[in-house]
Amino acid sequence: MYFFIPCVLILYYIAPKKLKNSVLLLSSLIFYAWGEQKYTILLLISILFGYIFGLLIGKTRGKTVSRFFLALSIVQNLAFLCYFKYADFFISNFNAVTGLSVPLLKTVLPIGISFYTFQILSYTVDVYRGDVKPQKSFINLAAYITMFPQLIAGPIVRYSDVESDLDQRSHSFEKAAYGTRRFVLGLAKKVLLANRLGEICDIFRASGEQSVIFYWLYAISYTLHIYFDFSGYSDMAIGLGNFFGFNFLENFNYPYISKSITEFWRRWHMSLGTWFRDYVYIPLGGNRVPFLRNIFNILVVWMLTGMWHGAEWTFIIWGLYFAVLLILEKLFLLKYLKKSKILSRIYALFFVIIGFVIFNASDLQQAMHDIYSMFGFGDLPAISKETIYYMRSYAFTLIIGIFAATPAAKIIAEKVRSKKSSFGEKTMNVLETIVVPALLVICTAYLVDGSFNPFLYFRF
Amino acid sequence: MKTNIKNLLLPIISALIIFIFSAAYVFGGQKDYSEAERRLLNKFPEVSLSSVSDGKFMDDFESYSLDQFPARDTMRSIKALTEFFIFGNTECNGFYVEDGHLVKIEYPQDDSMLDYAAAKFKRLCEMYFKDKNCNIYFSLVPDKGAFLAEKAGVLSFDYDNFADNMIQRLPDMNYIDIFPYLSADDYYTTDPHWRQEKITDVANALSEAMGNPLSDSYETVKLDVPFYGAYYGQAALPKQPDDICYLTNDTIKGCTVKKLDDKTGEFVYSEMYNMENANGRDPYEMFLSGSQPIMVIENSNADTEKELVLFRDSYGSSLAPLLAESYKKITLIDIRYIDSNFLGAFVDFNETDDVLFMYSTLILNSSTSMR
Repeated sequence: MYFFIPCVLILYYIAPKKLKNSVLLLSSLIFYAWGEQKYTILLLISILFGYIFGLLIGKTRGKTVSRFFLALSIVQNLAFLCYFKYADFFISNFNAVTGLSVPLLKTVLPIGISFYTFQILSYTVDVYRGDVKPQKSFINLAAYITMFPQLIAGPIVRYSDVESDLDQRSHSFEKAAYGTRRFVLGLAKKVLLANRLGEICDIFRASGEQSVIFYWLYAISYTLHIYFDFSGYSDMAIGLGNFFGFNFLENFNYPYISKSITEFWRRWHMSLGTWFRDYVYIPLGGNRVPFLRNIFNILVVWMLTGMWHGAEWTFIIWGLYFAVLLILEKLFLLKYLKKSKILSRIYALFFVIIGFVIFNASDLQQAMHDIYSMFGFGDLPAISKETIYYMRSYAFTLIIGIFAATPAAKIIAEKVRSKKSSFGEKTMNVLETIVVPALLVICTAYLVDGSFNPFLYFRF
Repeated sequence: MKTNIKNLLLPIISALIIFIFSAAYVFGGQKDYSEAERRLLNKFPEVSLSSVSDGKFMDDFESYSLDQFPARDTMRSIKALTEFFIFGNTECNGFYVEDGHLVKIEYPQDDSMLDYAAAKFKRLCEMYFKDKNCNIYFSLVPDKGAFLAEKAGVLSFDYDNFADNMIQRLPDMNYIDIFPYLSADDYYTTDPHWRQEKITDVANALSEAMGNPLSDSYETVKLDVPFYGAYYGQAALPKQPDDICYLTNDTIKGCTVKKLDDKTGEFVYSEMYNMENANGRDPYEMFLSGSQPIMVIENSNADTEKELVLFRDSYGSSLAPLLAESYKKITLIDIRYIDSNFLGAFVDFNETDDVLFMYSTLILNSSTSMR
């Protein structure tokens, strides 16, 4: 952070306007190559294919051959993704079913492949649909796909959302101030909350003194941990995007206040949810098809959503688990959930927590064991000495985490700002000017004294 | 403050923080050693085509950037203070504060480590003291958490259970219980070790249990150096230093001390209290020159011909001088720094009367360092 960002900012702001995208591209490639030397070439090849197919589809739009180019683009992208991410999963399952011993490929998952593959796919599909014009400049397209704030852990920025910004974007102190605040708050979410909540999960797994309440403490901590980890990264990406004049769309909208699973998925990882909606669910027919076909579409989309997160059965089951809940809500649950805001929130949160227990399990057996234990079927005591200690030790972190997962702070800040006198706004401005830099220093202190702690979503 | 001023100030202040730290990296030079953490620091890695292509340079650079971060010690303190005072955590980096002491959390008890240590002790007895007419004792030095953990409300193993477990594992040795002679005040506040001037009763209890009650009195000499112990740097909390004292008398002054030179394999003259070390990085290393594989204290004025072999860790360094009165010769062996299979090449065990295994709970609960 203290080497790369200052260098990029200096270069970016001193570069003439037409070279800014080149500076961004070069910086992003260095950023990627820093952590992924071997597969930088794969990233460039994927972009090159996306660029060529984009041009070909654009040139032949309206003709049958454009469909062929689109199909080629989809096959190429999915082939890369399947080979690097799913090949061994398919082989091991094939071996398990047939009893054969087909050797595993043991490929290493290239960082961010799920994110950039989906971006390239959305670009070529949007060109085919005529929603965007093909990008004639390779540098501009590559700068969009590789843009380092969002390259390795999202959000999945659509080309259509930044198309105009790539050619013409503005920079201002207002944007820089907003970007600073978003970046630092994202960093604080990750470093001060997600990492600490992650510690509870690690302690839980290493503990020899588990209890039913310890399982719940773990489940709640992990639920908060993954939210702050991922939304923290998204905030940082959105913040940095503002520095470079881009306006990335929001990726999270306080998902844990949802009153149903349907609402949860409108608030959680929104860029992924809308991607699957626009590029899989609707092309499959969406809900404008017979009932059973609609159910099939939902199951396919959520199985793929699960698989997107990783080549493990736990992720597939996690996706299908949400599919079943969404179908039940669609069929009859939603109307009951509307009757009580409190009960519906408890319901949504409960199933989200159970979902993340499945998500974080190493395999299905552990997932089942964890869920059994949470409900007292694991022959465990209700509480233990360690549970009490860690609950007390991390109580304040959990309280801050729960508070920060709701829009309470945002609502309070807006209320203070909206007071008729200018006192509220002035106070908030002073607070922001003090608190944000202080948080930056504190986060730096944690990074300096901590071990390297990559973001969870790097592995997706 | 108006919004447009905030919009101006916020990115400028934040950018200044980042740029100042960046500039300090570039112009601040590199440190070789961290006094606070007592370790060598990673330096800027060598750049080569192979180190860049295989990612080694990047990994090493991460380590360098953390170790050489400007004002690293201050940043570590900021983190520790945030943990305690903002997050209300009871511990930070495995340390807590109680009664002015910095204390390391020792939890849980690792039975496999106890098994390892007990097996090592038994093997030493088998190798060097089998069929010899000597008395074999063992004693446990509790870390200061034994007296502070419960009060602080932090996790801690049951020290009585720990001792019982070791007694069960070493049924042929005589256990000497020194727990009743110790309290938190007997330890430095910034260091794990005990204070020599506070353990005369411990020395007496051990000596008496081995049949040689002590009678000497001591002069306490206070050193004019601030003692920032090992926990001071590790916990990274602002804290006043300890003072450090040593005990002396005619017996101690009259002893000859030798240490094994691990380069030549010969014994060379050394000191009971090494004043150079007292002014060095770790003043506790003044006691018998700190970490040494084998030390010999010879007391030619002793009224006895008895010889003691003391298998020990660093707690033994400050205790052994107090036992000198009762023995003609004390051989101190630290098997963390020498392979126990080779001891016979350097030590003659034939004249040994007493053997004492004295280890702290800290070392026993992490005993794989014993060789």
